[in-house]
Amino acid sequence: MRRDIFQAISDPTRRAIIALIALQAMTPNALAEHFDTTRQAVSKHLRVLTECEVITQEPRGREIYYRLEIDKMKEIDNWLEQYRKIWESRYEQLDALLAELKQQEKQERKI
Amino acid sequence: MKPAEASLPSDTEVLVKRSFDAPAKLVWRAYMEADLLRRWCVGPPGWSMPVCEMDMRVGGKYRWRWRSDENDQEFGFTGEVLEVVPHAKLVHTQIFDPGNLGVSMGSEPSIITVAFEDANGITSVTTTIKFASKADRDAAFATGMTDGMEMSYQSLDEVLAVMKNAEARA
Repeated sequence: MRRDIFQAISDPTRRAIIALIALQAMTPNALAEHFDTTRQAVSKHLRVLTECEVITQEPRGREIYYRLEIDKMKEIDNWLEQYRKIWESRYEQLDALLAELKQQEKQERKI
Repeated sequence: MKPAEASLPSDTEVLVKRSFDAPAKLVWRAYMEADLLRRWCVGPPGWSMPVCEMDMRVGGKYRWRWRSDENDQEFGFTGEVLEVVPHAKLVHTQIFDPGNLGVSMGSEPSIITVAFEDANGITSVTTTIKFASKADRDAAFATGMTDGMEMSYQSLDEVLAVMKNAEARA
């Protein structure tokens, strides 16, 4: 299955996982303690996040730690910024259009 | 005017609120008249809106389409008008038309409710987007090609907080 970074953050549990491992690399067991869901569910989210390349595995001794790929997260930021700009600019253009309509009305009243 | 506020009132809804310095009847026109709407309802930078057809009576249909000037990509929205209360409320369905973008969203229409409230010539516009299911909302979120892009801001805030934390530690 093709994964993209937006799948990584489209789920609240995955966002919570991201928030946790942003602070420090963590093992799946340590992560699972933070959630009411089953270990399997957490593992599944970790798999999706790994496939999205948002997190990577880091073996330390016998344990596997997951850590956040900050650069990948920045991709989301850049991407969303584009859409935030669309809305900002839409509403700003609407502001300008409304100012123009108000002006028109004023002039029509004068005539 | 203050920037738009976005919130998630339920699993399937997104709510966006913004005020405009104009009476409701003018804001209403900007939403109802195709010639006016296409002037502000712009696409991403470098995109134009070649199709903006609107029959804004109850039961009427509309069709919006944006096109990239650069690479011939297109996407749009279509829908049907469900309720019209002049200067106060507009309800319509919305179906994402993926054009040739190669992204998908839920095929069930979402329902857009736009409420206009005029207080001394300042109009607050509240837009509620109700998706057919949470899965549809999340799919829309994943593409971002929708009014649902607002909801990504809330996720973004979480994500940005995380990044700042992580950077502070790096």
